[in-house]
Amino acid sequence: MTYKNIIVNHWKKLLLLFLGGIFCSCEDNILPEEGSIEDLTLPEANFDYGENNNDYLTYSFSNLSSSATDFFWDFGDGNTSTENEPKHTFPQEGDFEVSLTVADKLGVESVETKTISVVQPEGPIIIVPEIIESGFEAGTLDGGTGDGNDAWTIAGANNIGLSTSVVRTGNQAARIYMGVESVAYQELTVTPNVDYRITLYYTLASSPAGGYIRLAVLGNKIEDASEAEGVIIASVYGDDQTSTTDYTKLTLLFNPGASDTVAIWLDSNNIAEGRVDDITIEHVE
Amino acid sequence: MKFLKIVLPIVFIFIAISCNKDFLEPQPISAISEEGYFKTDEELESGILNMYDGIQGINDRNTSSNHSIQYEFYLTEIRTDNTRGKGSVDSDADQAQFVNYNIRATNGIVADYYRSMYNIIYRANVVLDNLDVASEANSAKFEGEAKFVRAYAYFNLVRLFGDVPLVEKVIAPLETEVSYTRVESSTIYKLIEDDLLTAVANLDDNTKNRASKAAAQALMAKVYLTLGEYSQAQTLCESIMNPARGFSLESNFKDVFYSEGNDEVIFAIGYEPDLIKDSQGFSSEWLNAVGYTAGVNYVTAEMREAFDQFGGERTLYSIRQDVIQPSEYQVAKYIPNGDENLGISPIASDPRLAGNDWIVIRYADVLLMHVEAILAGAEATTSSNAIESFKEVRNRAGITTEVTTITKEDLLNERRVELAFENQRFFDLLRFGEAQNVLSAYSTENKYNFTSSDLLLPIPSSEINLSKGLLQQNPGY
Repeated sequence: MTYKNIIVNHWKKLLLLFLGGIFCSCEDNILPEEGSIEDLTLPEANFDYGENNNDYLTYSFSNLSSSATDFFWDFGDGNTSTENEPKHTFPQEGDFEVSLTVADKLGVESVETKTISVVQPEGPIIIVPEIIESGFEAGTLDGGTGDGNDAWTIAGANNIGLSTSVVRTGNQAARIYMGVESVAYQELTVTPNVDYRITLYYTLASSPAGGYIRLAVLGNKIEDASEAEGVIIASVYGDDQTSTTDYTKLTLLFNPGASDTVAIWLDSNNIAEGRVDDITIEHVE
Repeated sequence: MKFLKIVLPIVFIFIAISCNKDFLEPQPISAISEEGYFKTDEELESGILNMYDGIQGINDRNTSSNHSIQYEFYLTEIRTDNTRGKGSVDSDADQAQFVNYNIRATNGIVADYYRSMYNIIYRANVVLDNLDVASEANSAKFEGEAKFVRAYAYFNLVRLFGDVPLVEKVIAPLETEVSYTRVESSTIYKLIEDDLLTAVANLDDNTKNRASKAAAQALMAKVYLTLGEYSQAQTLCESIMNPARGFSLESNFKDVFYSEGNDEVIFAIGYEPDLIKDSQGFSSEWLNAVGYTAGVNYVTAEMREAFDQFGGERTLYSIRQDVIQPSEYQVAKYIPNGDENLGISPIASDPRLAGNDWIVIRYADVLLMHVEAILAGAEATTSSNAIESFKEVRNRAGITTEVTTITKEDLLNERRVELAFENQRFFDLLRFGEAQNVLSAYSTENKYNFTSSDLLLPIPSSEINLSKGLLQQNPGY
């Protein structure tokens, strides 16, 4: 039997086989093509976000995904985006589940979800310290105690005196003695880099001439009066001797710099008798 | 036989004796080698100078040379809205990749800088490993200088590349684990902080071209600002601002750049004109075909606008029109071949061998860092001490309008014009959290291709290939 005879005798079977082959070959080719390799770099979704300056509701998103070509952002508030690195403004404060779905051109997907807490930033808190025994009155410390100058002491110097005559308000004022060195010292907790103003009222006897008081701010707390001179960050002198009884206002502006603790320092050249009353501190806008 | 019994032992003894180390591994006498070289203070000091030589970089066109900070403007200034190249936007040349934000892992300039910084770190580690030979009088100073230089190089690397390998001592070629393992940037910052603390403690203020106490403090202030440690940064700035330290602004802005070693300079890399080994090439590259290029680091339209608004008297000595190509504007700081109109005399007879020092830190930067520390990440400040420092810088530029509030934006703009073309802008944008906003807007406007992954440079592919898979690439490359 020759090949020709086979074809002639069995052409029906051969045709069936042939058609069957065509039919079977029309399946999806599930085997990799020649020379192709497996995709080892699958897309991986990742992102970061940052709040915008001046607008706490608006966020910028950085896309840190790898091996991805298509991006789908869901901001968790009903809004979506297909940009690479979108900017989005949230409607109000709250927690939002932001998800980024990435895909490559083979259709492989990866999802990353992060929760963003949108909160309005608080304004800076500025401490305005309270000055204790600010009017040098007795009984103003805890439990109604204190002579009026107990909160103004420092080792290495005489405590400033007290007087009930020639007071500005209340019953007492601090007393500057003629010929006796005395100082007042009190630590304050402040906010760094905020401008403050200290105000006090003083009076000096009209004679002897040449008297003055000094109001100063020390940049940090000290342990002994001898350290004061080296750490003064602001000071002002009061030398008004026109009236023994009328008080004069004295103000001092200061900025604590990086420090959060400063101290008020008050002394005089001890030439003339004097009074100091009503020390206050305020934050300067 | 008897002969053999006597002779053989003699031969063996001779062989045994002859096999000592000196015989097999003699010290070369015709050349100096590192091993065994460092024995005295003078020799260790040559190791110190070798570190600064590394920062200087090599002034040639060889792609395998370490050009160090002579190429830094590509990675920093050109990569911002301050400057650009002059060529086509779509070019794929190494230089153009920084302009259009298409930087590739194969970029030769990125690899050059990465290699240069690690070479500087190596040179510093050589000094630190040999500190035991230093005399008691010099040991602390040498340690301070080497640690300053190491911190300087790491601070550049960590801000440009993110997590990087941490090499704390001289390593051998086979220690690939150290060379190619990226370490968390927080660990790198820890080393930087420790090194600078030592430098601040061990150094004084007597040098401007070598590490000083003020240089270490100022660099540390910038590290703290980067990390958000504002109060520590403020204290460091205030220490430098103490009048007893002797630093102040030059009254004339021009003198900052054209009167070297002035009181405003805190740390500068020294260059000597007309000496191939000690000169720099960037000054001429920034001009029109004076260097080997047609001109790079040219001023953008956005930057000129910033100068119109905030520049004041600084503008004249910061940007100038290109006389050959009047539509283009060049950097006017660091001009090597003089400018009669500006009263600047030539610094080198061959502008390609320029001697203009490269200022790394100057007092105006410290004053503005002081403001930044007080601002402490807030939107604005009205603090009088911040305003005082801010006004000092503006007053010198002839801008005397009243200031009552300083916003973050004001400060960023002020830094942009005051420190223009001094490779600060990119790092400023990062610190202020504005890099993505500003650069994506700039990129869109100019049809470049910025995305947030461009904020970190690629780890050079040459390094990745050598690491045999150990070193991981940054996202987006």
